[in-house]
Amino acid sequence: MTGHVDAGKSTLMGRLLYELGRVDEKTRVANERGSSKAGKSSFSWAWELDGTIEERERGITMDIALQSLSTPRRQVTILDAPGHKDFIPNMISGAAQADCALLVVDAITGEFEAGFDRGGQTREHLLLVRSLGVSQVIVAVNKLDQVNWDQSRFEEICGLLRAFLVQSGFPSSKTSFIPVSAMLGVNLVNRTSADAAVLSKWYNGPTLVDLLDELEPPTREIASPFRLPISNVFKGQSSGTGVTGRICGGVVQVGERLRVLPGDESAVVRLIDVEEQSVPWAAAGTNATLYLTSIDPIHLSIGSVLCPPSDIVPLATVFTARIIVFDIQLPITTGASIELFHHSRDVPATISKLIATLDRASGVVTKKNPRVLTKGTSAEVEISLRAGTLSGPALSARPIPLEAFSVNKDMGRILVRRGGETISAGIVQNIIC
Amino acid sequence: MKLVGKHVDKNGAGHVNLRPEDDEDMWHLYNIIQQGDLVRAPAIRRVQSISATGSTESHRVKLSLTIQVSRVEFSSSGAPSSSADQTSSPAGSSAAAPTTTAALHISGPVASENRHVKMGAFHTLDIESNRDIRIEKVDGWDSVALARVEESCVPGRGAEVGAVVCGEGTAAFCLLSQHMTLVTHRISVPIPRKASAPGTSQYEKAMARFYATLYDAFVRHIPYTSPSLRAIVLASPGWVREGVFNSMITEAGRRGDKTLSKALREKTVKVHVSSAHVHSLVEVLKSPEIVAQLKETKFAREGIVLDKFFKMLGVDEMRAWYGPDHVRLAADRGAIGTLLISDELFRASDPKLRKTYVELVEGVQQKGAEVVMFSSMHESGQQLNQLTGIAAILTFPLDVEVVEAEEREAREEERRQQEAETLDGG
Repeated sequence: MTGHVDAGKSTLMGRLLYELGRVDEKTRVANERGSSKAGKSSFSWAWELDGTIEERERGITMDIALQSLSTPRRQVTILDAPGHKDFIPNMISGAAQADCALLVVDAITGEFEAGFDRGGQTREHLLLVRSLGVSQVIVAVNKLDQVNWDQSRFEEICGLLRAFLVQSGFPSSKTSFIPVSAMLGVNLVNRTSADAAVLSKWYNGPTLVDLLDELEPPTREIASPFRLPISNVFKGQSSGTGVTGRICGGVVQVGERLRVLPGDESAVVRLIDVEEQSVPWAAAGTNATLYLTSIDPIHLSIGSVLCPPSDIVPLATVFTARIIVFDIQLPITTGASIELFHHSRDVPATISKLIATLDRASGVVTKKNPRVLTKGTSAEVEISLRAGTLSGPALSARPIPLEAFSVNKDMGRILVRRGGETISAGIVQNIIC
Repeated sequence: MKLVGKHVDKNGAGHVNLRPEDDEDMWHLYNIIQQGDLVRAPAIRRVQSISATGSTESHRVKLSLTIQVSRVEFSSSGAPSSSADQTSSPAGSSAAAPTTTAALHISGPVASENRHVKMGAFHTLDIESNRDIRIEKVDGWDSVALARVEESCVPGRGAEVGAVVCGEGTAAFCLLSQHMTLVTHRISVPIPRKASAPGTSQYEKAMARFYATLYDAFVRHIPYTSPSLRAIVLASPGWVREGVFNSMITEAGRRGDKTLSKALREKTVKVHVSSAHVHSLVEVLKSPEIVAQLKETKFAREGIVLDKFFKMLGVDEMRAWYGPDHVRLAADRGAIGTLLISDELFRASDPKLRKTYVELVEGVQQKGAEVVMFSSMHESGQQLNQLTGIAAILTFPLDVEVVEAEEREAREEERRQQEAETLDGG
């Protein structure tokens, strides 16, 4: 679930959970009372997800919230992403675990434009999720009640977004648009309430839940060796340490021994939780929580990868990647210092060599050893991780677990950011060392 | 650093006596001393003597040695990066930070014999602060080296800034002086995500632990009592810096640490940066709050110039060149407006290579252009190093390819002429 800051992502999700009976009446009343006490009654639905004190005080989501719900045909895990630009690292960590995107946009005049213009998060989020391998997107046009369910406004927004989506590489057959009001709960599950009367006059398409129900799960890499990039580490209730993350390949069973990379430690899986249910095994594509024993939690950090001891993930400090440069102000030069994002990990790195620029469509080399990469180019580059210190002789950089895109698609996607702006996305080609 | 004596004639021959005083002076010396120089400094050497009966006796002798430098080694014992992923336990000890952390080792064969040491015996000099050192250059002092000596001896240049770059659960403590950025400490506390099943109290507990660790580390690693510390920068994405500042103020109040709360109130500058990595210090130096306070300092200027270069690269690629060959071509055409050069290039072990760079700098200066020497101990210098260490902003646009073609043509022309001459001669 993505979108510009204050578009209403958390509110939409909170309301959806309530409508589907995942939130009981008591919690809702407590949230309502609490938020109106704090003078922020419009945030009452979002409080269901924005649990920390700071998030509630500021009225924005700062970190990924994970919830699951079931529609008639599907089990859906929803990741509520923060929209504020400072928390994009958290958003990337969440988006890396997603199969489909639910984009929430604000229909209020001026607000949509603020989010969609250059520098708004609507564009950046869409590019990010696309580069992370998401191709299905549902666009929920929110807060339509604030513009009196104006059909022309809905059409206008759809028109603008449709063009951008196609240009960003989302197939138009897999995108759908839907008018909603999260605050009033209109068109999430049904359109029976009195507030929906105006909308029902011109809209008779599916509701949000209907659309969620129709999402197609992509093919999973079940046959490849087990990979789980850790996105969260916490203390379990009784014993063991809980880690969550999405399985990027293979299968895991209770009792299996897993290696933690980077590092020399291994752990035993004691329990596997999927959707708060204990299960004996889990396969690629599921968001699972594993409870690990016989390991000190100090060795488990966010960004590490779990894998079988017989088939470990290669560690890399220097690798080549094929990247697409986004719409950027300053061109990329050799030696540009960047932040490299790979699942939940972000590390400082430099683009150590510009190998060649490529033709975007065919992938044919157009120019070797270019001086700079300007916006919109596709290129092959060499990226090296940076050592932690500036001082003295360079200490060697700490390697991160990485796999070539040809080996494991989920493990081979990277994002490159610089100065708070995502400048390019790409796939890993070769690991050099 | 103090200049004790300088005896350099107009051809550059002679020697300089210097007295280093702090970490930064070690860095200056590292940049001044080159392979082949003669360095005289006090040393302690273990001397073995064999008596007439054949028994050996060894004792330590304090003496001054002159060595011909074969290797210079600089190490600033900043925080080891390996601690990045580990929890640093908040050890309650109040160990005072050592005054000097940088060390300079110079090794080479002894060049002047005395009673204890034979000519040509190897020795490694450990340069210590407040001990005089004499440097003599065999092939003379060039303008860049002399400028460096002068610069290092300007009194009262210490505009120091203590910076804490923090994110959720991570923090890096940095000390910035004119020529150096030292990462003195890093902490990393694992913070569970709020999405974890058992609720959010774990997150808040972990954040409280992070603030406590950060407070302890701050007290030990940032010299907040020192009057030369101009500012304390708290930089972070999001609102972590606010949380850090508030928790530090309350903690200092609770512990009754008046000097710390005073320093925090007076000197703290909160700056927004886009990531919690040390390299976002560049962003700190570009931020208006810092520029207003420190714009005359060297590191702020470096940041501004580098930023200008990158902007120029974005706006007009033909006016921003980098790489030694390209910059030299631009210099030949008198096109350089600002030359950005890293001090790393002058540490080149090959004296010929160094000479070419010195000539380049002198030539550019003579044409009235600005030369900015970057210190590779700063983040901006590191970035320039990544960009081959030399770059230039040109006064008028020049196309690299056209210039290269011109050069090729000129060379062809020359070759043809030579051929013609040899033909004429024959």
